[in-house]
Amino acid sequence: MSLHPITLTVNGETSTLEVPANRTLHQLLAEDLHRHEVKSGCYIGECGLCTVILDGKPVNSCLVFAVEADGAVIETSAAENGEPGTLSDLQQAFVDHGAIQCGFCTPGMLASARALLQRNPKPARDEIVEALSGNYCRCTGYQPIIDAVEAVAKGGYRAKPAPTAPYVGGEANRVDAAAKVTGSATFVHDMVLDGMLHGRILTSPHPSARIKRIDVSKAKAMPGVKAVLTGADLPYKLGLYMEDKDILARGVVHHQGEAVAAVAAETWIQAKLATLAIEVEYEVLEPVLDVHAALKEGAPQVHPGLADYSWMKGVFFPQPGRNTAHHQKIRKGDVEQGMAQADHVFEFHFQNPPVQHVPMETHVAIATARADGEVEIITSAQSPFTVRTLFCRTFGMAPGKVRVRVPYVGGGFGGKAGIHLEPLVYCLSKAAGGRPVKISATREEEFNTLPSRQGLQSTIKTGVTKDGRITALDLTYLWDAGAFADYGVNVGRAAAYSGAGPYVVPNCKLDSLVVYTNKIHGTAYRGFGHLEVLWGIERNMDMVARALGLDPVEFRRKNLLRVGETTITGEPFTAGHGRPEECLRLVSEAIGWDAKARAATPVAPGSGKVRAKGVAMLHKAPAMPTYTSCAVTILFNGDGSANVLVSGVDYGQGTYTALAQIAADELRLPLEMVRVPWDSDTDYTPYDWQTVASRFSVMGGNAVIQAAKECLDQIRSVAGQALHAPPEQIECGNGKVWVKGKPARTLDYSQLVLGYTYPDGSSIGGPVIGKGRYIATGLTNLDPQTGQGLPALNWTYGAHAVELEVDTDTGHIQVLKLVSAFDAGKVLNAQQCRMQVIGGVVQGLGSAVMEKFVFQNGRLLNNSFTDYKIPTAKDIPAEMQQFFVETPHPQGPYGARGVAEHSMISVPGAVGNAVANATGVEFFELPLDPERVFLTLKRAAEGKAQPVKTADPDPRSTRVPPAARK
Amino acid sequence: MSGFRYERPGTLAEATALLAGAGGGARILAGGTDLMIALRGGPQPTVLVDIKRIPELGAVRWTPAGDLEIGACVRVQDVADDARIREVFPALAEGAEAIGSLQIRWRATVAGNLSNASPCMDTAPPLLVLNGRLRVTGPQGTREAPLADFFLGVKQTALAPGELVTAVIVPKPAAGLSSAFDKIKRSYGHDLAIVNSAAAWDPAAGTLRVAIGSCAVRPALVPALAGVGPKSDPKHAGERLAALAQEHILPIDDVRASAEYRREMTSLLCRRLAARLLGAGRTS
Repeated sequence: MSLHPITLTVNGETSTLEVPANRTLHQLLAEDLHRHEVKSGCYIGECGLCTVILDGKPVNSCLVFAVEADGAVIETSAAENGEPGTLSDLQQAFVDHGAIQCGFCTPGMLASARALLQRNPKPARDEIVEALSGNYCRCTGYQPIIDAVEAVAKGGYRAKPAPTAPYVGGEANRVDAAAKVTGSATFVHDMVLDGMLHGRILTSPHPSARIKRIDVSKAKAMPGVKAVLTGADLPYKLGLYMEDKDILARGVVHHQGEAVAAVAAETWIQAKLATLAIEVEYEVLEPVLDVHAALKEGAPQVHPGLADYSWMKGVFFPQPGRNTAHHQKIRKGDVEQGMAQADHVFEFHFQNPPVQHVPMETHVAIATARADGEVEIITSAQSPFTVRTLFCRTFGMAPGKVRVRVPYVGGGFGGKAGIHLEPLVYCLSKAAGGRPVKISATREEEFNTLPSRQGLQSTIKTGVTKDGRITALDLTYLWDAGAFADYGVNVGRAAAYSGAGPYVVPNCKLDSLVVYTNKIHGTAYRGFGHLEVLWGIERNMDMVARALGLDPVEFRRKNLLRVGETTITGEPFTAGHGRPEECLRLVSEAIGWDAKARAATPVAPGSGKVRAKGVAMLHKAPAMPTYTSCAVTILFNGDGSANVLVSGVDYGQGTYTALAQIAADELRLPLEMVRVPWDSDTDYTPYDWQTVASRFSVMGGNAVIQAAKECLDQIRSVAGQALHAPPEQIECGNGKVWVKGKPARTLDYSQLVLGYTYPDGSSIGGPVIGKGRYIATGLTNLDPQTGQGLPALNWTYGAHAVELEVDTDTGHIQVLKLVSAFDAGKVLNAQQCRMQVIGGVVQGLGSAVMEKFVFQNGRLLNNSFTDYKIPTAKDIPAEMQQFFVETPHPQGPYGARGVAEHSMISVPGAVGNAVANATGVEFFELPLDPERVFLTLKRAAEGKAQPVKTADPDPRSTRVPPAARK
Repeated sequence: MSGFRYERPGTLAEATALLAGAGGGARILAGGTDLMIALRGGPQPTVLVDIKRIPELGAVRWTPAGDLEIGACVRVQDVADDARIREVFPALAEGAEAIGSLQIRWRATVAGNLSNASPCMDTAPPLLVLNGRLRVTGPQGTREAPLADFFLGVKQTALAPGELVTAVIVPKPAAGLSSAFDKIKRSYGHDLAIVNSAAAWDPAAGTLRVAIGSCAVRPALVPALAGVGPKSDPKHAGERLAALAQEHILPIDDVRASAEYRREMTSLLCRRLAARLLGAGRTS
C-alpha cells in the first residue's frame, strides 16, 4: 500500500509523516504518535471514547482516515494539560465533581467538553448534555460530568478546598483523579511491549456444532504470522468454580462466538487476515437455547462430560445428564404448611434477559512465556491473584513462577473478575517462541465471546394473610448460564440465599438452578444475581399488596427483616445488620409517597403521558467463599509519607481513595502524604482474594487499620527511645510525634521511618513496615439439602423510589426523580458514595429500560453498539437524590459496609412498579423498552394482558394466573 | 481495511475521471461515517476518492430563485445549525439534527446520508416531502433527478457507475408550506430510527404529504393527502394521513423492532406531525 505524506498539528506540535491510506486518525494518534489519552471502544463511531477535536469540531477519530487530516489542527484531551502537576479549570472541575471513576472515558469526555466550551463558552445545561451525549460512560451516570462542565461554563471556577483531617467521612477527591484527567494513567489497552505480537481469535458462527476439520496451513503461511493455535493444541480445562471451558474449543463448540482458533502476528491486521484464512468445517448440532428445553428429559447435553469435570465440592452441586451446573436449595420451615396458613396465595412469573457489563475498556491481556519458564501477564482484570491461581491450576505451574500485573482498569462490573483471555495469550506467546502477545477484544468479541449476565426465569408463589403478613414463599429461579458455569454457579448460590428479598419469611422453599444452554456464558455482574431476583421479588410485593388492598410501602414495612427474626438461611437478623425500614422511610418521604401515591396522574390532556411513583427494597451481601482473605502492606518513604500496597483493584469504584483516607487517619498523616500505588502486582503487592462483591473497602479497610497500627507501634517505639519516654506516652499527629503533654519538642516522621539517628551518628530502629490482614471468620458453607448456614460477611440494605412519566403513545419512560437510600454503616467518603450510587442507578436504569441480548436461533443479533444501547447523558433521570443511613457494622472498618453494587439493584423493580402504577397494567419481563411497554398496553386494551389486580373481596379464591410463558 | 488507494482530487473533473478510471472499483469518501464501517470486513474498493477538497462541493447556496443547494461535502451539523434552513425547511434541519451524535454530525454529510441509502436515514423523509432533487455528475455529464427516484433498495441507488452526487437541491417551497420531522428510537440517546417521518403541508393547495423511513427497503413517499386546508381538523387529518401511510409501508420484524410496533409508530408519527403542522404554530 502506498504511503501518503501528511502534515498535521497535534496539541500545538506539528508533524510530517507518511501514512498508508487505510490508517485511521485514531491509529495515527494512539499508536504512531503515542497519544495514549486517545482511547477506543467500538470502532463504529458510537461510543465516543476516541473523540478528538479536528479543526475545532469534536469527531470520532476511528471514523477519520489519517490521510484526511492532512493539514488539520487536532487537539486531544491532553491539550488541557499545563505545567506538570497543575490542572486546567475543566480538569479540576472533573476532579472536584467526582466526574471520574475508571477514567477510560475521561479523555473523550474532556475533548467533547473542551470542544463545546471553545464553540460556546456559556452553554446551557441542555447544550452540555447534547455535547456530551455522544460519549459513553458506564461508571459515573453522567450527572457529575455534566455538573463539572456546567461549573466551568459559569466562569471563575474555584477548586474545592483541600480536605482536612479526619479524612474518613469527608469528601476527599479521588487519589487517581489527576492521573486520569491528564491522560497519565496507563491502561493495558494503551500498552505496547518490545517485540509484542498481536493476537486475534476466530469464533464459531454456530451455537452448537462438531468441529469436523480445521485447516490452519494457509494461515500459518500468511505474512507476519508467528503462531496459529487450535483447540487440538490446548488440552486444558479452565474454570473458576467448575472446570468446564476449553481455552479454544476442542471437538465441539458450545456457543456462537466461542473461540475455535487463534493467531499471533506482527500486526493486528496480519493476525486478522490469518484468522480469515483458517478453514473450519462444522457439523451443525441441535442447540439447547432455553432453560426449560435444557431441563427436559432427553435434551441435548451442553456438557456430556460434566460428571468427569472437577468442581468446588461441597459448595456446588451439578447434576450430570441434566444440563444443571448447580442446584442450590433453601428450605426453611414448612412451605406447604405456610401456604395452608395463608388467606391468599399468588403466583407470578418474571423474566430477565441476558445483558452485558459493557466496560468501556474491553477485555485485554498481554502475556509473555519467558524462556526460563516463568510467565508474565499484564491484564485488565479485577483480581490478579485469582487470575494467577486459576492460571497455575490449569497449566500445573507454581504460583511463584507466574507474575500477574494489573494497571489501571477501564471498568469491570464483575465481567473481569475471573480469568478470561490470559491463558490464550500465554499459549500464543509460548507458541510464538516467547514474544509477548496482546489480545484486545473488539467490542463485538466483548459481546459474543466474553461473558455476560445470565438470563433468569423466576416463579414466585406467595402465601399471605389478609392483613398482609407473608406466611410462605415458594421460589424457583432458573438461570440461563449459557455454555459455561464461570461465576454463574455462584450467582445461582448467592441469589438463592438472598432470594426472598429483605423480608421475614417463616416458611421458604427455594430452588435455584443454574442451567447450561448453547449461548454466551454468564458471569458476575454488579449486584451478582440480585438485580435479577429482586426484579421479580419487588414487582411481586407490589402486586400482592395491590391485590390485598394494602399500600405497598406499608406492606413492605410490615414484612421487613427486624431484630429477632432470621433470614431464609437461618441467620439471625441483629441490630448490626442495619435499618432497612429507615431506608424505606427516607425514600418514601423524599419521593412524596402517600396513600394516593399509587394513582397515576395524567400529565396534560392529549399528551398521552401519565405520571406515577414506585418503590422497591433491596439487600445484598458479598458472595464469596468462607475463607476469603486480604492483606495490606504499608511502607514509608524518606519524607515520612507512606505507600499502602494492596492487590485489590480500583477499577473506578473509589476504594483506593477510601483506603488512603483510612491510612491517613490511622497513621496521623496528611492525606497527600499517603499514596496507594496503582499497579497491583502479584510479585510485589500482598495477597487479596478478588475485587468483587463490594467487599474490598470493608476487608481492605480492616487490613489497613491493622497495618497502620503496626506502623505506629514501630514509630512510637523508636520515638520513645529518641525522646526518652515510654512508647505509650508518644503521641502522633500530622506526621509528627511528641511526648504526651510536651508538644513543644516534636520529631518528624521523616526522622523516624527509615530509622532514627542520634546526634552522635548512632542509629536505631530501621525502616517502618506495617502489615495488616483480614479473613472473614465464622462463615459456613450452606447445607446441601436445606441451604441453612451463614454465608454472608455483611449485608447492606437499601431502597429506591422513583417518579416517572410514561408516554403511552410510544412506550417511552422518562424518569423524573430517583431517590436512593442505603445503610452504609459508615460513609467513608461522602462524594465517592454518592458517585457510586449515581453511576449504579443509571446502570440499573439501563437494565430497566433498554438493555437486552437479542438472539435468533442462538445467534446474538445485537453484538455491537449499533443495536445494544446503553444509557447516554440524555437517558438519565432529571433528578437523583442519595441518602445514607449509618448503623455501624460490627466488623466493618469504622462500621462501614459495601455500597458499590447495591445502587444498581432494584432500580428495575422501582421503575416497573411505577410503570404499573402509571398505566394500570402489570409488567413481568425486562427491559421495559418502548416497544414492550407500548405493546403490553395495547394487549391490555385488547383484554390480552394483565391489568393490575385490585383488592379481591373473596379470600382463598384469589389465584392470579401467571403471565403467559413463552 | 486494506489494499485501496487514496486520491484527493481538487476538481470535480478530476474526481469523475478517477471514478471512470476505476471501473466500478472506486468509493466516494465524504464524511466517511458509513463508509469506514462498511470497509471493515466488507468488500474493499480499489480506490477511495476523497471529494472534500473540491471547493464547489463544500458550500450551502441559495439560488436567486430561492432554491437551496447543499454541496455534497456539507456536513449534517452545518445544516442543522443553519438558521435559514431551519426557517424555510424545518423538517430538514430537524432530520439532520436527529442523526447520530454530535461527533457523527460533524463528519457525516447530507449527500452521504442519502447515497448510503440505508432505510433509516434521517434526511431522506424531509427531502422527499420537500421535493428534493439530486445533482449527479458522471461520465455522461451532469443531470438532476428527483430524490424520489433515487432509492432502489437497501443500500442501492440509481447512481450509474462512475456517477457521484454533487449537490442536494431543495426547491423553493410554495408560499405557506410548513414541514416537520419526527423519529421514534429506542432510547433518548443517539440511535437509529425505528421509524422516522417527515411531513409537509401546503395550506393553499390543501395537500399534506408524508414520507416514512425504516418501514420498507427504501423510504416511502406517500402520495399527498388532498383536501387538507387551513380549516381542516388536525386530528382528523392525522388519522387520514396515518391510514394512507399504512398502505405504503411494508415493515419487517428485526433486531430493532417488530413490524407491528413500526406500523403503530408510523400512525402515531402521522398524527403527531399533522397536529404540529395543522395545529398551533404551523410553522415548525
